[in-house]
Amino acid sequence: MNTEAVINNQVGAAELQLATFYVGELLLGLEIDQVQEINRCLDVTVVPHAPDWVRGVINLRGDVVTVIDLRTVLGLERGTVTKDSRNLIVNVSGELVGLCVDRIADIIAVSRGDVIPPPPNIGAVDERFFSGVFTGKNDIVAVLNLQEALEVEN
Amino acid sequence: MAIEDEELIGEFIVESNEHLADIENQLLAIEEGGANIDVDLVNKIFRGVHSIKGAAGFLGLATIKELAHSLENVLNKVRSGELIPTPDNTNVMLRAGDTLRVLVNDALNSNGVDVSDRIADLSRVLEEDVELATVDPPTAGSTPGDDEVTPELMSANPADPAASVVPTPNPTRASEASPAVSEASNKPPATTSVESSIRVPVGVLDQLMNLAGELVLSRNQLMQAVASHERMGLDAAAADLDQVTSSLQEAIMQTRMQPIGSVFGKFPRIVRDLSSQLGKQCKIEIEGKEVEVDKTIVEAIGDPLTHLIRNSVDHGVESPDERTANKKTPEGTVWLRAFHKAGKVCIEIQDDGAGINPERLKSKALEKGLISTDRAEQMSDREAVRLIFHPGFSTAEKVSDVSGRGVGMDVVRTNIEKLGGHVDIDSEVGVGTNIRVTLPLTLAIIPSMIVKCGGDQFALPQANIAELVRLRPGEVASRIDRVKSAEVLRLRGALLPLVRLDASLDVHSEVLGQSDAPMNIIVVETGQVRYGLIVDGIHDSEEIVVKPLGVHLKGCNCLAGATILGNGRVALILDAAGIASTAGVQLTHEASDDSDAQHEVVAQNNSQALLLFSSDPADRFAVPMGVVARLERVRSDQIDTVGDQELLQYRGMSLPLLAVEDHLRVNPRPKVDCVYVIVFTIGDREVGLIAPHLDDIREISCEIDPVTFQEPGVAGSMVIDERATRLLDLFELAEITHPQWFADAREDNDQGDDAGPGRILLAEDSSFFRRQVAGFFKNEGYDTFEYEDGLEAWKALTEEKLEIDLIVTDIEMPNMDGFQLCQNVRSNPKLQHVPVVALTSLSSDSDVDRGRQVGFDDYQVKMHRENLIRSVRNLLSSTRANSKSNPKRQLANAGS
Repeated sequence: MNTEAVINNQVGAAELQLATFYVGELLLGLEIDQVQEINRCLDVTVVPHAPDWVRGVINLRGDVVTVIDLRTVLGLERGTVTKDSRNLIVNVSGELVGLCVDRIADIIAVSRGDVIPPPPNIGAVDERFFSGVFTGKNDIVAVLNLQEALEVEN
Repeated sequence: MAIEDEELIGEFIVESNEHLADIENQLLAIEEGGANIDVDLVNKIFRGVHSIKGAAGFLGLATIKELAHSLENVLNKVRSGELIPTPDNTNVMLRAGDTLRVLVNDALNSNGVDVSDRIADLSRVLEEDVELATVDPPTAGSTPGDDEVTPELMSANPADPAASVVPTPNPTRASEASPAVSEASNKPPATTSVESSIRVPVGVLDQLMNLAGELVLSRNQLMQAVASHERMGLDAAAADLDQVTSSLQEAIMQTRMQPIGSVFGKFPRIVRDLSSQLGKQCKIEIEGKEVEVDKTIVEAIGDPLTHLIRNSVDHGVESPDERTANKKTPEGTVWLRAFHKAGKVCIEIQDDGAGINPERLKSKALEKGLISTDRAEQMSDREAVRLIFHPGFSTAEKVSDVSGRGVGMDVVRTNIEKLGGHVDIDSEVGVGTNIRVTLPLTLAIIPSMIVKCGGDQFALPQANIAELVRLRPGEVASRIDRVKSAEVLRLRGALLPLVRLDASLDVHSEVLGQSDAPMNIIVVETGQVRYGLIVDGIHDSEEIVVKPLGVHLKGCNCLAGATILGNGRVALILDAAGIASTAGVQLTHEASDDSDAQHEVVAQNNSQALLLFSSDPADRFAVPMGVVARLERVRSDQIDTVGDQELLQYRGMSLPLLAVEDHLRVNPRPKVDCVYVIVFTIGDREVGLIAPHLDDIREISCEIDPVTFQEPGVAGSMVIDERATRLLDLFELAEITHPQWFADAREDNDQGDDAGPGRILLAEDSSFFRRQVAGFFKNEGYDTFEYEDGLEAWKALTEEKLEIDLIVTDIEMPNMDGFQLCQNVRSNPKLQHVPVVALTSLSSDSDVDRGRQVGFDDYQVKMHRENLIRSVRNLLSSTRANSKSNPKRQLANAGS
């Protein structure tokens, strides 16, 4: 993953667009082209025997999409769905997956050079889930490492 | 060979072009790979060329066939690593490919074209390599994977007679696989795999485009209507959208639908070639070419159909002489019909041949040990004909060139069933055979039952459902039993393990807690297991579209996928086999601990396993299970009457039958096609009792009333399910009609008993059984002392110094049970020689084991008078013969 990030840093454009969102108190970011769409937490069908970090499945215009509870993945307490909760639909190795987040924040453009390697932990969350950290004027955005976060073995 | 069928040629051109489309890039990729040969890629080209060769030979396109054959030879060498691709030989192959394409595109005139240059080039490459190989050993051998490829090649064009004459490429040096090559073949293929494509008529595409346009218009209308809050416009837009969507759905489905005629097209040729090969006259008549089915089905049905058609010509249609002798036209006919029926596609293959002789099939199946003699006797002709689909069954007397090689009818059936289809056969000797294949229109849609559990809806494929059982609240307690922790359902005399869906899915059920709710049970059958699935509710059956579950949910074994219901919600599809294995702990637990569990039930209730049957709604009877040797189901017409005695011709001998109505006051037996026969033994003799209708097998623990029904042959009565049930004494019943059966035994007894009648102690807590068993003994002339439990009996033995020759004891008794009593007897020096016979209602291995430890001499089933008396007699006589010193221990499993 790290090598990939390095390559991205070198060859990508100087600017990076991050879709940011809150999971608990944590402000996270995902590269915008990883996000296919954002929708409300639809009617989730609970899947028996699924891992606890899977909320269930939803019908996304005819596709059955697994919804992941990002809080549980990051080792936080499972939250409740509020009117601010959203599903980020991301494409992970060809499969659409929904990420259940607490609130959507802005889309920010940052310079790649400003994204630094993550410290050992961010708000008690393991560093392996992040590919970098961007420190803005008011707050810190942790860039989510999607592959690692959605690793099946987690 | 003349070229006749333009349609076939057209098809050949399209197909061959598909095979050739990528050949350039693929050859180049192989060249680039050099010695690291990508076997998969070479195989792909090889198969393409091979198919072209086969089809060309079939159509009489000699030139194409020849060229393809030469190219194939070279490719084979490349594949086996004997020829290392170089720019030189790749050029030759490329040129051959080009020429092949040119030839194919003008297939009708291809036979006149001179391709000797190309063929010479190819042969040169082939030989060059041989020389090269002798000088410079190839660096790369073939991979072991080659072996697996060969059968694939053979089946690449199984319909094609030409394919069978082509020698299979033989991997000569499979053993010399070099690591370098295996490594290379493990790498992902050099070219991206081409997604399977489909030919769609331009008309359908135009229609799709039109519909897409209309969809955009409808959307615009809708947006406008929403923006302007105009109710009228909204209605109109919704109606439009509805219509467009339906048409769009239909049109898209249509792109996947292909006429089945594309499969049928090759059959006339096959039938003609085959019949001339076999010296038969045969024609094929095809109906329903235009019937459309999903492309997946079209692709998969070719091989099974080819096999069935070949079978019809080879085995079905007789030779012209034979036909003339049977007053048929010399020319036989095979009909191939396709039609839609009830939302499915039916394909019929019918011939007017000799038909299938069911007797011959039966004897063959017997010979091969596929069925038992009894089964063969009971089989109807239709069932017998179906044996043809049985695995390991080949009807071909001799393995001919044509069929009877490799694939049997069971493979055909398996393949069709894999497609979700079904195959059935009807045959009449001398008239012909009709095979019916039923297939779903598409594989992506499966009929399912929507069930409810814990507030969610689940889909269960209909294919797994055997039946639905609904228990009224009042019935639940009587129909469901617990064996240890597992629940079982009594279903027509059998115990069916139950699985609670809510428990196996770890969801909370809303309904099951309520005792006044009816219980819905789905009897589920998978290949391996059959069980009852308890669900909260059963909704409709629905045709569902299967969608896969994501990678994060692969661990859910109970689920086979997901679907989207009409309301837009996702419903999960249940995997019947997965649920069984998840709940399997209990299922296997139950199976292995069955005897133990039953023992426990017996221990708790001191109950008796009874077989319940009725001859009339008013007359119900019970027979203790321990007496029953086995149950047989027979057709009424198998029962003969000789004099007054009914006999069943059975296993090569005749079984005398008893019927309750001959002896007891009951209504006459109803006329039914099939009855059950309860077989039991009297001495060495087997006797059957006719049971018109089997109700159930129950553990009955209620008191048996010995007074109300006092008839010879009736031991007592009880009330089960609010019905008066008479407990039969089969031996008494038999003795009424056949006293001679018992007379012999008595005589033996009298002779053996010269030392005066034996004295028997009987300990049994149930007054009914005590009376019964004591009655048996008294009848035989023994002195019998009866006690209500083990403790009383023990007191009598020790305190009252009662002298006895034999102890017969029940096992489950209050105060002191049979095991304890026996142990006491064995540890008492004065009594230890006394034989002890245990009485059980149900014998099980664990019982017998424990009994062996404590020192029982024998086990007997309470109501099995014959065996009990015999055992008592044997024990008494052997004890006396051994002067009370060394009692012979014969521990037999009772009732067997």
